Amino acid sequence: MDASTEFAPPPGPLPGGGRNLHRFANPGRFLRLSGRVLPWVSAIALIATAIGLVWGLGFAPADWQQGDSSRIMYIHVPAAMLSYMGYGSLALCAVLSLVWRHPLADLAAAEIGPVGAAATALCLATGSLWGKPMWGAWWVWDARLTSVLVLFFLYLGQIALVRAFDDPQRGYRAGAILALVGAVDLPIIKYSVDWWNTLHQGSSITLTGAPTMYVGILYPLIPMTIGMVAGFIAITLARTRAAVMERRIRALLQARARTEAVGQEAAI
Amino acid sequence: MTHLTYIIPAYAIAVLLAGGFAVDAWLRMGRARRKLAAIDPRFMR
Amino acid sequence: MTRKKRRLLVLLVCGLGVGTAAGLSLWALSSDVAFFTSPSQLAHDHPGPGRSFRLGGLVEAGSVQRTNEGGKPTASFRVTDGNTAVVVHYSGILPDLFREGQGVVSLGTLAPDGSFTAQEVLAKHDETYMPKEVAEALKKSGHWNPEQGAPPPASTWNTLTVKKTGG
Repeated sequence: MDASTEFAPPPGPLPGGGRNLHRFANPGRFLRLSGRVLPWVSAIALIATAIGLVWGLGFAPADWQQGDSSRIMYIHVPAAMLSYMGYGSLALCAVLSLVWRHPLADLAAAEIGPVGAAATALCLATGSLWGKPMWGAWWVWDARLTSVLVLFFLYLGQIALVRAFDDPQRGYRAGAILALVGAVDLPIIKYSVDWWNTLHQGSSITLTGAPTMYVGILYPLIPMTIGMVAGFIAITLARTRAAVMERRIRALLQARARTEAVGQEAAI
Repeated sequence: MTHLTYIIPAYAIAVLLAGGFAVDAWLRMGRARRKLAAIDPRFMR
Repeated sequence: MTRKKRRLLVLLVCGLGVGTAAGLSLWALSSDVAFFTSPSQLAHDHPGPGRSFRLGGLVEAGSVQRTNEGGKPTASFRVTDGNTAVVVHYSGILPDLFREGQGVVSLGTLAPDGSFTAQEVLAKHDETYMPKEVAEALKKSGHWNPEQGAPPPASTWNTLTVKKTGG
């Protein structure tokens, strides 16, 4: 099956059960599916984060130079991943919205934005709290820190744009375009520590080499990352569910107001 | 433990931020579900 | 061509354009994006006296001299990148991570005699995370002298088991 048949336009008007991609555009089906998944994702988030916190704070060894401040890494690294993944999913939603006019993608993008911005803020704040005692500075303008700050402002821009228009459709469109343009920042963030010299350290965990992190220090990062990613998914799923229901409520109330108006006109 | 003045704020911000977003999403979902059920009982399964 | 395909094509072309523009401007600005200058770069790219810039490198082993001038802690040390070294003078409190063999980035100006007067010294931590026991074991076995710079390849120590020593 090639892409053109896979993303063939749904027969009939949009919410009427199209195939494949548009199957999930059906709000009723999305609510049922996400309602089934949400408890599991939430449970994974809580359990994995609890394991990660106890392991990382209580049992992992401290770094020989950094002392216990190395434990800030257990929040900082997953938060950085979330900020990155969150923006990636924002860009994905933008493509789904701009090319395939997927209605759920718009709602999801509007809900992912604030959560991703919070993850980026957490990444910046924990980095700062580590930088002060280790580097000797809360903040420096090196390529890594600056490009992540730019990512934070891109999130803020997307959040504002989505909500800036009276016609929500125009807001979604503007937000999607910003999300896509801003995606050039993602490779810059990733490779900033390789392309330029920075104060920020290089990656400890790479696909090609052995992690430059002692396994006892590395292992708690795994449940912590799983937990925080699951938590991000759970929160955005719950917010998108709420948004789908809120849109349904608005549509129903508008339809009701219209029929009432028609009824009153008929009575006059 | 060393550097507690930095570790405690880092973890506190994380817990408050995650907890705040989770509670907000949970409450918002409940509100929407109740309101929708009042308007259109058939929509929820 | 369907409308969807056309929209996808427009998006791809725009993406290519934005990506190229970003890439070219970063390429052009790459020397400004760099956070610090290494001692070797200074040799052929001299910023001139009185101009403030950041000098980055490792603190050379055995080069740190600490004194106390009028109640203010003062240090001088050599910053090296393996080929060239520059003498740095700094008066103030050094970061906790400062030691011989550590990466440092100093903000300051070059003096006429070629030495560097720093107003600020930041420690640069590398990407290694190592418990104290492992670091001690590597030092004791002679596999790593932290004063000489970076630790040996991670695969030689990141699963090393050491028995806990008290304290």
